[in-house]
Amino acid sequence: MSKALLEVLEPFTSSSEESDYGATGIHRRHTTTLDNLARVCEAFLGAGYIFEMLSCIDLREKEEIMRLCYTFNSLETADRHLVHADIAGGLEAESFEAPSISSLARGADWQERETFEMYGVTFVNHPELERLLLPEDADFFPLRKDFGRIEDAEAQDD
Amino acid sequence: MTNAVPPEATPGGGDGEVYSLNMGPQHPSMHGVLRLLLDLKGEEVVKAKPVVGYSHRAHEKMAENRNTLQFLPNTSRIDYLSGMIYNLGYCQAIEKILGIEVSERAVYIRVIANELNRISSHLLWFGTFLLDLGGITPFLYSFDDREEILDILDQVTGSRLTYCYGRFGGVTMDVDEDFLARTTAFLARIRERLGMYDDLVAKNVILRERCINVGVISTEMAKSYGVTGPSLRASGVVYDVRRAEPYGGYEKFDFDVPVLHEGDTMARFHIRISEIEESCKIIEQAIKGIPEGAILPKKMPKRFKIPEGEYYFAVESARGHFGMYIVGDGTDVPAKLKLRTPSFSNLSAMPEALAGTMLADTIAIVGSIDVVMPEIDR
Repeated sequence: MSKALLEVLEPFTSSSEESDYGATGIHRRHTTTLDNLARVCEAFLGAGYIFEMLSCIDLREKEEIMRLCYTFNSLETADRHLVHADIAGGLEAESFEAPSISSLARGADWQERETFEMYGVTFVNHPELERLLLPEDADFFPLRKDFGRIEDAEAQDD
Repeated sequence: MTNAVPPEATPGGGDGEVYSLNMGPQHPSMHGVLRLLLDLKGEEVVKAKPVVGYSHRAHEKMAENRNTLQFLPNTSRIDYLSGMIYNLGYCQAIEKILGIEVSERAVYIRVIANELNRISSHLLWFGTFLLDLGGITPFLYSFDDREEILDILDQVTGSRLTYCYGRFGGVTMDVDEDFLARTTAFLARIRERLGMYDDLVAKNVILRERCINVGVISTEMAKSYGVTGPSLRASGVVYDVRRAEPYGGYEKFDFDVPVLHEGDTMARFHIRISEIEESCKIIEQAIKGIPEGAILPKKMPKRFKIPEGEYYFAVESARGHFGMYIVGDGTDVPAKLKLRTPSFSNLSAMPEALAGTMLADTIAIVGSIDVVMPEIDR
């Protein structure tokens, strides 16, 4: 990880710490805000990194947040950065909104659609935020922790 | 997933009318259950929209409902063509998290099994890709070769496709002299065949006409979409997880990462053929250097508790970068397991790659990136 990239990232991240690559597979972890997410993404892409993965952790019950997890990696020498961005909202919150980065990294398009259908996070300014793997009329978010187990779900037959 | 929309076919659309056509999910040339919603202007593709999700089995949800060991059989069903690589990759991820030592013999066995699986996956691609383009003979030949690999792996694992050969700390069964002899014989056989395939297929003028300069994916586009594997290496980027972040003993082996710069369908074809040769090289070294010893540690814990924290481990599957993002909460059931599969990102680049091409090339282009639907739908 170059010093220059760290300096570019510095104003946009609220915390940044090294991680034990051998045990976790991640070189460095950062925390940012939703407002600065696009700036962080631009910094990584500008330094030649690729957007690798987007996922989400449902922490509504414990910490009243929905946590977005992005990883960026270098294709030359492995250098994986995990970026957290939290969306405030507890179990009662009706919607979760985050800015879309699909105009910066086109690979984020589908991954945002998947996060939307699985966790109910709406990505603002996404070109086509439709469900990807689930049926179009699905009105549930299966990877949320309060969804329960698949075995317990009521069988639906159309 | 978009519900079935009846295609509005307008007859005689010669004067620039755009009409939609459903290709798949039950199309003979489509891989698995991929459905492409094509907007066509004559025979030119104006817009292509992949519709996926037909084989969604909620593997990520299942991972949150069962412990780490119980999830092991799921892994080879995510991508059934590189089941061994996924199965052993998951074992390696858990081993790294828990610091479990793997014996030297098990490491070598895993490398051999992984590379045999990679060759069988590439051979299946080789056969079906050419079948899609209208050549049935290569399909028969490559399946004959692939059958030998399935037999060899069946002998040691007990399954033909959805292997569950890995255990945390090693593998279930030891390999014997017969296994090594058969594998060596197979290497000699496939090398001879590759020469024949090169003469018969790669130099075939019909194939070249249909592949050269068709479906070009530029380096910039590949990087932006997160395309990995042979499709990325055909676009001029030297990236192979086995080389970039060596896992499972790959740092011990001498092999090349083939790369081409054209980014077209022909380049992706050549890359996979070269990769079969590289895999042969790795297996040869592994057979030569395989040490004696145990295949599993003597004492193993009953429960594999994942310490609190986040982990990301990647392996190189036959299609590219397969990443597992694991969130642990101190129990043996992960709080979250995200599977970052290569076909998912590779297919997401298709709308852009297909726009502006001819309908007849669609099959060649989609076939050349080698998508496996179950790993996209998970």
